[in-house]
Amino acid sequence: MLVNLQGPWSPLLGRLAVSQIPYENPILVGTFVLVVALGMAILGAVTYYGKWGYLWREWLTTVDHKKIGIMYILVGLVMLLRGFVDAAMIRSQQAMAVGPDSAGYLGALHGYLTPFHFGQIYTAHGVIMILFAATPILVGIMNIIVPLQVGARDMAYPYLNAVGLWLTTAGAALVMTALFIGDFAHAGWFGNLPLNELPYSPGVGVDYWIWAFQLSSVGTTLGGINLIATIVKMRAPGMTWMRLPMFTWASLSANIISLTSFPVLTVSLALLSLDRYLGTHFYTAGMGGNLMLYNDLFWIWGHPEVYFVILPAFGMLSEIIPVFSEKTLFGYTGMVLASFGIAGVSWGVWLHHFFTMGSAPDVNAFYSVSTMLVGIPTGVKVFNWLFTMYRGRLRFELPMIWACAALFFLLVGGMTGMMNAFTTNDYMVHNSVFVVAHFHLMLLLIVYAIFGAVNFWFPKVFGFKLNERWGKWFFWLFTAGTATVFIPMFTLGFMGMTRRLDYIPYAQWQPLLDAEMAGIVLYSLSAVYLVAQLYVSLRDRALNRVGADAWGTSRSLEWATPSPVPFYNFAYIPHVNARDEWAWRKENGIAQLRHDRYEGIHMPKNTGVPLVLGALSLVLAFALVWRMWWLAALCLAGIVILVIMRSFAKDTDYIVSPEEVKRVEDALWAGTHARGTEAEGGRGRGAVGGGLSPAHSPSAPK
Amino acid sequence: MTHGADNPLEHPEVQLANGRSYLLVYLFSCALLGAATWLVTRQAMTPIGLFLLTTALAGVVVVAQGVFLLHMEFSETQRWHTVSLVLFIPLFILTIGLSAWMFHGLYRRTMLMPEMPAPAAAAPAAAGMPSMPAMPGMQR
Ligand code: HEM
Ligand SMILES: [Cu+2]
Repeated sequence: MLVNLQGPWSPLLGRLAVSQIPYENPILVGTFVLVVALGMAILGAVTYYGKWGYLWREWLTTVDHKKIGIMYILVGLVMLLRGFVDAAMIRSQQAMAVGPDSAGYLGALHGYLTPFHFGQIYTAHGVIMILFAATPILVGIMNIIVPLQVGARDMAYPYLNAVGLWLTTAGAALVMTALFIGDFAHAGWFGNLPLNELPYSPGVGVDYWIWAFQLSSVGTTLGGINLIATIVKMRAPGMTWMRLPMFTWASLSANIISLTSFPVLTVSLALLSLDRYLGTHFYTAGMGGNLMLYNDLFWIWGHPEVYFVILPAFGMLSEIIPVFSEKTLFGYTGMVLASFGIAGVSWGVWLHHFFTMGSAPDVNAFYSVSTMLVGIPTGVKVFNWLFTMYRGRLRFELPMIWACAALFFLLVGGMTGMMNAFTTNDYMVHNSVFVVAHFHLMLLLIVYAIFGAVNFWFPKVFGFKLNERWGKWFFWLFTAGTATVFIPMFTLGFMGMTRRLDYIPYAQWQPLLDAEMAGIVLYSLSAVYLVAQLYVSLRDRALNRVGADAWGTSRSLEWATPSPVPFYNFAYIPHVNARDEWAWRKENGIAQLRHDRYEGIHMPKNTGVPLVLGALSLVLAFALVWRMWWLAALCLAGIVILVIMRSFAKDTDYIVSPEEVKRVEDALWAGTHARGTEAEGGRGRGAVGGGLSPAHSPSAPK
Repeated sequence: MTHGADNPLEHPEVQLANGRSYLLVYLFSCALLGAATWLVTRQAMTPIGLFLLTTALAGVVVVAQGVFLLHMEFSETQRWHTVSLVLFIPLFILTIGLSAWMFHGLYRRTMLMPEMPAPAAAAPAAAGMPSMPAMPGMQR
């Protein structure tokens, strides 16, 4: 072994030992029991209803971009819940551990979490929310919507798409494993160096963090390649660049920056792994190492990453606002240029994350200016949205209220970002909770856009609308929670509260911390309404069925497909005549046209290989965390062999017969007619199966 | 969606693949990089000499891999390989260049790097800053 490991190591189990299971921690044991019970309930239900075959055929082995997208979103929602619980624990600890007289429980001096646990919780919270909640949900939505918007039947690489999904899922599963076997990193989501080096973090926590990051990074990179190829190569005839829907433009710009920046993350973490596994000195404090190199490399990825998550959110706003303003999007070309302007600027601002490092004043000045430059394209976007709404017929349905609130958060988050961009100011607020509040408002903008988009596109994917009344309750409670948590947080930041405190020495901060706690209670309450919204919507789905054009004023190409979308998306590849194709068809009275005969459709076959690759990667990462070399070698060999075998597989696609297409289309049309007329040219609704129509595709042998 | 109906072996990209040249370039890169590692671990030259030599070796490897593994060429069908590389160059310059600029300033003000050649070490004094006294434990 090239490094000095603390604690025992055996060839068979590596560093793994029974003592690594935190069975003496009541919180973790309780969580474990809950997770096991929930897992058993789900597995039991699947077995009881005999759904294993369905699950395997229709979901686990699918290469359908819509189903993969839905699974991405489900993974993201599960991790969102986990990240939220972490947040609630951070907030309650900070509300309890104030002042020297505050009581301590469960072995903690103050509050109920020891510094060791608290560190893991805030690290896990950040990693989970950014990489395993926001990113998968956004990727999922892009996955579903982009092929529909460009008029394609699937992604450019359906198989690769499934591989990306299962790698991301493996990353999420690895983070969850860290909860019950061993521990997680405690040096913050972006990793403080040299704290993350082996001598200072001798446990496996940092290794979990590294490999979870790496898995998700590979998954996201593959997804990025796929989305770019889809947008460049799979556009329907007539879908010229300047007719591309804005969400697709936003996805393109976002994935270009992800494709160019994720490799840097891979390298920065690989060098850290070399330090921890082979004893090199890339980031050590002595021996020629340079710990600031880590910050440099990490944020070369880190800042483009924050724009990778915000650009799709901007795209969602650009789709929602015109539909509920009943106008075209104002300033289309400007919007496109602004997206790429933001993406371009995002490559050259990363040093604003470590202004206080002590680089030369002209360096700081350069990055200060480049950071502020992003305000120009962002401002263009904001004004375009406002001009879209100006003199529009505004309808404040669910997607629209989420979108409008998102604009508000963009304003507050962006302005506080500008404040951070002043180097002088940043010396005051760096590493304070003011910065934390800044980027949370930015990320909340994304969350609001996502909730808007989910409400907006849900009927397209599932064929019925989400309940409006419960949804509005959810919106207002969630917004109340946001205000109650983050206004005090900004205040505390200005008062000098640094981030990541497990104990707060100043009793006079108690009221503000209590207010933040109240905000978390509001958030929790809002989650109840979200569940209620989903439940009521599902229960009453028969009442809320929609046709192709769910909102009556939809504009872009995806609304030309029936709701729910059949597995082949378009019976005929559409011919695109205009920007806002669906609106154009309605205006020209051809929205209701129907083909009288169909042709066979060439589709990819299902395959279980991506799932197995994901599982092998999970075990590989687990083996690397615990340094079980034989297991790691075995999994790696398995992955290589499987990839080679798959590349020789010939039986990967099939033709859907014209009769089959006719049967599905007839059912969709019959649905429309049985329900009478549909608002403004709605074409069909889901008579085929519940929710998504089944894929009818025979599984490929491997 | 992939058009599996065509034979994948007929794709121009796949046709370019050549096991022998892949293996040769692989061995060639291993040899050069191994030589660089060996020189560095032996500290066979002055730091600046090592820096220049390893950079040169890395450059040769990059070119060899670019041509033989990544098929940088200008033919009608394969031009896109080269185009995508060229599109990366500005980013490359941006990240490496700005990082170098930043570290250059940083070393002068915070970490006295022992390996820095003389002109850089003399620069703080030239810029009107007092040079830092040696501290215990500092590597010289
Ligand atoms: C108007 C645009 C923006 C500006 C001018 C801006 C500026 C800044 C600055 C200067 C910092 C560093 C503060 C410090 O650590 O002292 C910062 C931190 C941060 N920003 Fe922004 N930002 C902007 C938009 C965004 C967006 C869109 C996101 C994400 C969606 C975001 C996420 C973050 C994160 C995650 C951090 C801190 C990460 C950490 O320290 O853990 N920002 N921002
Ligand atoms: Cu940034």
